[in-house]
Amino acid sequence: MTNYLEKNVTEINKLLREGTIKPLDLVNEAFEKIEKEDLGAFITLNKENAIKKAKELENKEIDNILFGIPIAIKDNIVTKDLRTTAASHMLDDFVPIYDATVVKKIKEKNMIIIGKTNMDEFAMGSTGETSYYGETKNPWDNTKVPGGSSSGSAASVSKRLTMLSLGTDTGGSIRQPSSFCGTVGLKPTYGRVSRYGIISFASSLDQVGPITKNVYENALLLNVIAGSDDMDYTTSDKEVDDYTSLIGKDIKNLKIALPNYYMSDVINEEVKENVLKITKLLEENGAIIEKIDIPYLEYAIPLYQTIALGEASSNLARYDGIRYGYLSKNYSDIDSLYKNSRSEAFGNEVKRRIMIGSYVLSGKNAHIYYEKALKVRNAMKKSFEKVFEKYDFIIGPTNTSYAYDLGTKKDDALKSFYDDLLTIPVNMAGLPAMSIPIGFSKSNLPIGMHIIAPWFEEKNIYRLGSFIEDKLNLDLNPGGEK
Amino acid sequence: MLVPTIGIEVHAELKSKTKAFSNSKNAYDNYPNVNVNEIDLGYPGTLPRINKEVVNMALKAALALNCKINKKMHFDRKNYFYPDLPKGYQITQADTPIGYDGYLEIEVNGNKKKIGIERIHIEEDTCKSIHTMDGTLLNFNRAGVPLIEIVTKPCITSPIEATSYLESLREMLLYLDVSDVKMEEGSMRCEANVSLHEEGTDKLGTKIEIKNIGSISNVAASINYEINRQKDLIENNIEIKEETRRFDDKTSSTILMRVKETGNDYRYFPEPDLPYIYLTDEQIETTRKKLPVLPQELKEKYKNAGMSDVTIKSLINNKTLCMFLENVYDKINPVNGANILTGDVLSYLNKNDVSLNETHLTISKFVELLISLEKNIISSKQAKELIKDLMENDETVNNLINKKGMIQITDESQIKEMINKVLDQNEESIKDYKEGKDRAIKFLMGQIMKESKGKVNPSLASSLLISELNKR
Repeated sequence: MTNYLEKNVTEINKLLREGTIKPLDLVNEAFEKIEKEDLGAFITLNKENAIKKAKELENKEIDNILFGIPIAIKDNIVTKDLRTTAASHMLDDFVPIYDATVVKKIKEKNMIIIGKTNMDEFAMGSTGETSYYGETKNPWDNTKVPGGSSSGSAASVSKRLTMLSLGTDTGGSIRQPSSFCGTVGLKPTYGRVSRYGIISFASSLDQVGPITKNVYENALLLNVIAGSDDMDYTTSDKEVDDYTSLIGKDIKNLKIALPNYYMSDVINEEVKENVLKITKLLEENGAIIEKIDIPYLEYAIPLYQTIALGEASSNLARYDGIRYGYLSKNYSDIDSLYKNSRSEAFGNEVKRRIMIGSYVLSGKNAHIYYEKALKVRNAMKKSFEKVFEKYDFIIGPTNTSYAYDLGTKKDDALKSFYDDLLTIPVNMAGLPAMSIPIGFSKSNLPIGMHIIAPWFEEKNIYRLGSFIEDKLNLDLNPGGEK
Repeated sequence: MLVPTIGIEVHAELKSKTKAFSNSKNAYDNYPNVNVNEIDLGYPGTLPRINKEVVNMALKAALALNCKINKKMHFDRKNYFYPDLPKGYQITQADTPIGYDGYLEIEVNGNKKKIGIERIHIEEDTCKSIHTMDGTLLNFNRAGVPLIEIVTKPCITSPIEATSYLESLREMLLYLDVSDVKMEEGSMRCEANVSLHEEGTDKLGTKIEIKNIGSISNVAASINYEINRQKDLIENNIEIKEETRRFDDKTSSTILMRVKETGNDYRYFPEPDLPYIYLTDEQIETTRKKLPVLPQELKEKYKNAGMSDVTIKSLINNKTLCMFLENVYDKINPVNGANILTGDVLSYLNKNDVSLNETHLTISKFVELLISLEKNIISSKQAKELIKDLMENDETVNNLINKKGMIQITDESQIKEMINKVLDQNEESIKDYKEGKDRAIKFLMGQIMKESKGKVNPSLASSLLISELNKR
């Protein structure tokens, strides 16, 4: 078997240009590997079309660095004529009639969509276990969770089943699995990437972002998907940067904040040790690191439960079995049609979240919970603004820990929210943030670090990220059977 | 004494080119489910878009209703399950209606009254359910069609006021060119809230909502029925429960649909998929300045010009004729113009079932006709005759007058010659005239018209006849 997918994009681009390999070689390798694996990283494969596309590309001029590169798409991003399920029984037979804006952009660059990756149902979960199609396994240890909700997107890149992938992040769903799987995952600024065609979970928090093997490729993929979109009025008109432009620049005199919230007692010791190694490294190279307090961060979880679940309860109301999706065979009138279709097709986590969300928006609760949450969210955003008046970055661990055993949190609805303790504040404030691998636990599981920057400063995140990546030079390929 | 308090809610479809939150066509016609895209169907992943034309139309209506404007406004989601609601929520404006606290002036029996407008907001329509023997069919052509909802304050006190308000509102929206406002087609829909309370007390009675009222006259009928029904209940000490009723036009009564449950919970919250909309002072003032002349002002103007109530009503009801008149208003005698338009022109249009712009009548031809009439070149009878030709052919008024030999004889010496010729032949009539018999004049005029083949200007001829008679 070939091992092209382990190489980086620049090398592959060179081989393609030289004619040493064809896009079809990459596609064939991807499917060969995927079919051999039992990670559960994919829900639907796009084999026939990917092969067809790869053959078509043989007659086309290689016009960009991502030409012919295989990419996996999280299954809550709609793809025309390619089944899109959001990992829910509800959409088991749903074949979209249009492409998400990000998918259009990827197709314009002649990248090849390999398939749709597994995820937590409707992106609700942080372990990859709530999928209707079964759990995704962590490529570093098949008994561990890969993190979620973009479980398959992170696992497939980590295992080199594809070169790049797209995930979505509402409360940490790109960064958390990236940290558990040893990949680089970026959640862009809210409004930087179009949400048109992203199956909504929480509209005011959702963002699409790249998951890649390294920082440079992450920036390349953001270059493709970023930009305003007149199909999404929440996108920003702000001009798109070349996100690779600051990669390789030094980090001298950069001011970096390390919030105490991110280094508290609830954070795993090994994780903290690894983060402190990095702060030391950065200081040695001229960066200025200061420990600070950021008010309101401690409200992250209740804010999430109110705002994200409130919005979700409304966003998921459209799944009624009438126009598309699952329709119960067992109904006698419109009420039983709704009740039975939704009861039978939504998983427990989704139901739980719809119920909580409906509760916080009901009657007086809207005032007691939802409106108050919006105020606290605003206060949290302001406290970030204050931090960024003084600092270029905030860093800390991506997660409270590294990958844990499959099944650990299955029956603990509340505990799984606490996985997102450190990632949620970023979504609440709409900030860009990346998780990069900075080392391994004693049990050889990847540990991720969070780099948070001011709004629309993604290029600076890549600058700091690539610096750390270069210095560490970690082997991030989980290799063969473990 | 029990007195009624009435509030009215009107939904009017805006006639923007595209739907409220997507770019599919906003049209009522064609086959079912053709003016539909993935946004209207509420497909997973779709997001609403903002339609500036819709915002602008709603702004026009809000300004015409003398409303205050929410310069920073957003949309909200109203959540409920129903098969005609594709997303499971309706995008509407709960917190920040585009306009609030306005009024519309109406006239009842010669008295003017301001009907307070509580709010006007933008929202999207649902799809249309068609119930058949085999089940319910859904037509999504209407899904996402923009609506404005206009809510009055509870300040209407009689069915006749309600009727007058609705007629005035309908005319206003029509003249603003924002809606077709056809109740029979559903582009304007009404709901009335009716309650009774003891006169002199502040506390309003329990409110009954009446839905599905198909015409303005039925609004009055349903309110009337409801007032009497509630009176009976109160006088018999039967408690009135808050309920929704519908009007049944076969029996001219209201029928219970449902008793209101304690506070319908629509779980309103701000629509996170759309940003705030900011209306600038400049935009508001520009729109205000561009507002067309509204029916209320037109009626006043026409009344002062001396038009009859019947003519005014007919003009206002026929907007294209009214706008046509407005275009020529300063160039002609407007009363004559209005009479011809609401008389011969309108009956021609009705008879042939065409609209004015489908005929050959142009503004310049109409002005030419009216000026010919005012200059006595043609008689009003001749003008009537010409109108039909002008509507059917491309010929100018002048050509037609020449062709038909319609030019009137206005040369006095020529007329005098004719008069004397007639007088010479009718000595008896001269005698009759001298003896004070008025009918002699009529007879002689007839003879003069005959002599001139009807071309002599009648009023000129009549005055010349008398002076010639007196000379004899």
